[in-house]
Amino acid sequence: MLKKVFFLSIFSIISILLLSGTALAHKVIIFAYVEGDTVYTESKFSGGKKVVNGKILVYDLKERELLKGKTDKNGEFFFKIPEKTALNIVLDAGMGHGNSWTIPLSEIENIPENNKEKKEDLHKISLLEQKRELKISAPFLNEKKIEIMIEKALDKKLKPIMRILIEEREKGPDVHDIFSGIGYIFGLAGVASYISFRKRGGSGKL
Amino acid sequence: MHISEGVLSGGVLASGMALSAAGTYIGLKQIDYDKMPQAAILSAAFFVASLVHVPIGPSSTHLVLNGLMGILLGWGAVPAILVALLLQGMLFQFGGITTLGVNTVIMATPAIICYYLFRHMILKESFAANISGFACGFLSVFLAGILVGAALMFTEKGFFEIAVAVILANLPVMIIEGVITVSCIAFLKKVQPEILPGFSAKMVYQG
Repeated sequence: MLKKVFFLSIFSIISILLLSGTALAHKVIIFAYVEGDTVYTESKFSGGKKVVNGKILVYDLKERELLKGKTDKNGEFFFKIPEKTALNIVLDAGMGHGNSWTIPLSEIENIPENNKEKKEDLHKISLLEQKRELKISAPFLNEKKIEIMIEKALDKKLKPIMRILIEEREKGPDVHDIFSGIGYIFGLAGVASYISFRKRGGSGKL
Repeated sequence: MHISEGVLSGGVLASGMALSAAGTYIGLKQIDYDKMPQAAILSAAFFVASLVHVPIGPSSTHLVLNGLMGILLGWGAVPAILVALLLQGMLFQFGGITTLGVNTVIMATPAIICYYLFRHMILKESFAANISGFACGFLSVFLAGILVGAALMFTEKGFFEIAVAVILANLPVMIIEGVITVSCIAFLKKVQPEILPGFSAKMVYQG
């Protein structure tokens, strides 16, 4: 009887904890994306809190430090791509909390070189616009320019989606995770009791 | 309290693993048939406790419950904490798999220390028992903070600063933890005193 009371109370404690505790902050996340020749990073604790003054270290894949900096009030930090290599961006939020994000070479590859061209092209376009030479004729819109324009538009349109994806990644554990964890623990205890029962030659009281 | 992956140096990770393996071995020897469900329930409570989020201070912290586990399980707290941390690492990405050993040492060592310090005290029928129950919860988080500092010392080289930062950030948790531990022990003493350590050895059944 007493045992029942004990287990019931423990169970009720657990369920209260489940109901009350939703947000948590014991994971930090860094997310980085490339736009033009700049890498933007955002750092957050998993409760949604921004990492303020977190150290950011940027390495290449050979662990060579390229640059470092600190996150601002909004947990953001951006830098110009220092060289054409894959970047490993490491966040150190202090007290042993850290995470990293790798930008593969494929995302960077074209940017530093292309960028100049891109800018020139865009410059040309705007100049042309200024001169009101906006008659869109076929020779004017060659492939490259269309590509640049599409890229620009996509960047703009995809930004909110990126944001949603980041937020999605940050979601804390849901009820499934919690109950599956508790289930695992009890299952392991069951296996352990079974083993110790067998060791006793099956003589234990059940 | 959970140290993330990729922060610590290899040596610290390896020694954490070795220590927690040794502790788990001793702990598993000590968990007998009757203690098994208790260990499982406390492990589950520990697993869930880190979701209870205390939003005080610059970074929020969570309950640990390692003091309570230590006092009830003794060395058995090591495997119980290890399992809970493993699942937290896998399901919530708290801590991580490589830092599992270090994190186990960080949380389980204070549990064992508290067990040896307070196991006799809490059985007393006095105010001292309550004080020691509170101290058990408080100290277990405090010591864990010191251990976090020690683990990071080898990588960040600022033991004192880190330890102070962790302890300050966890101060509210220490107090809450102390209150929870003392009330749990008081409750168990009333309802089912035999699960407290040393109880059955000391008490004679009086009918």
